[in-house]
Amino acid sequence: MKRSVYKSAMSHLKTSEDFNEATYEKLMREMAKSEQNGPIDQTQSKEMVKMEKAKKKTMTGWTVGVAACAVLAVGIFALNQNGPAKDSVASPSATAQPSSVVSERPPILGKVQVNIDGVISEVSADGKSFKVGDLWVEITDQTKLGSNEPTATAPSEELLQKEFKVGNIVSGFTSQDVSSGRVTADVIYNNMAPAKEEAPIKGKAMVNIDGVISEVSADGKSFKVGDLWVTITPDTAMGIDGPTAAEPSEELLQKEFKVGNIVSGYTSEDVSTGKVDATRIYNNMAPQQ
Amino acid sequence: MYNSFELNESVRRALDRYSQSLIKIAFAYLKNMADAEEVAQDVFLAYLQKRPVFENNEHEKAWLIRTTINKSKNMLKAGWFRSRNPVPENLSYLPREENEVLQAVLALDKKYRIPIHLHYYEGYSIQEIADILQAKPATVGTWLARGRMLLKEKIGGAEDEAFSI
Repeated sequence: MKRSVYKSAMSHLKTSEDFNEATYEKLMREMAKSEQNGPIDQTQSKEMVKMEKAKKKTMTGWTVGVAACAVLAVGIFALNQNGPAKDSVASPSATAQPSSVVSERPPILGKVQVNIDGVISEVSADGKSFKVGDLWVEITDQTKLGSNEPTATAPSEELLQKEFKVGNIVSGFTSQDVSSGRVTADVIYNNMAPAKEEAPIKGKAMVNIDGVISEVSADGKSFKVGDLWVTITPDTAMGIDGPTAAEPSEELLQKEFKVGNIVSGYTSEDVSTGKVDATRIYNNMAPQQ
Repeated sequence: MYNSFELNESVRRALDRYSQSLIKIAFAYLKNMADAEEVAQDVFLAYLQKRPVFENNEHEKAWLIRTTINKSKNMLKAGWFRSRNPVPENLSYLPREENEVLQAVLALDKKYRIPIHLHYYEGYSIQEIADILQAKPATVGTWLARGRMLLKEKIGGAEDEAFSI
């Protein structure tokens, strides 16, 4: 056999004349299809989309949660003005007790975005720092006042006062380590004056169920938020109660508890037990599509 | 990474440069031109989707050849491919001698056929074939020697004549 025969034979093999053009067109069609469905490296881009969606959901959840807290707090003050204030000296401590108990256990998941929450016990001479619990919080020029989320309503004077005073109820967030004892606030969501001559009440005492449902029981009456199983009983009140609260919409307070829904509510029971009956459910929202 | 324009350009360039090589390798594997062209198209599609980055043209060609061989293997293993009885490729249009030699090579076991193709058609050295086939050079040398011997038995040839580069 001559050495060039095989190469020559292979070179003479007939192939489709338009193979290159047909292939190129096919490839471009595939590329166009991929671009319609997202970039070719689809796994990565899908993850990015998922992350963006998750972020949006989380932020929306928090915005609604903070708004619910604010409405709730106003409702509590309004109620307490007619409450047990006239009783005795013991009454303030009695009212304050639940808040101090809960303050040791922050609302589930709430500590991530709201880690400044409580009543101002001291204010610095310049008025730019205040103490909440054991934490000194400093307000700087960089501190944002009010939520700047797209769905957030403009903060009212009542809910977000300019001056930090002893007794005011504040909620906010710092990206710094709260265990250091002194932080600079990134955001202050609320700075509300307490009801006159009333013991200050921490708003978070009324919201200790807050997060995304990860499991729902077979009967649909219990759901899991974080590590907490919450059961809805016939005694569980639904919606936000208070003179300024709007009627709960179907959208914000769905009847059915589903995995992925964002819920906020309150239980008077000890959340550290891992299983509680809900006293009230404020919101039960389907995640954003 | 490429942008779309660069990718288009690199794919078009690869098509112009290597499509015939890839079709011929796939043909040597599958013995059927339609299947060979389908495999070659799949290889370019993989090129488009994976967007591999190459050190140089040789690296690019080696990647394409390896992908062609892998895709040809996969096609051979596919149930639909095994179960069919294709009409043998009509090579009668080739000159008699070329037809004879090509038929002889295609009749070899594929473990001899592919190294012979890569050596005598593509001009790869034993070391390069070993890299492409991910085998030891000594093994490739043995395949080539045995393939040559089998071919000589079939189609004859002078004692000192060999399938050298």
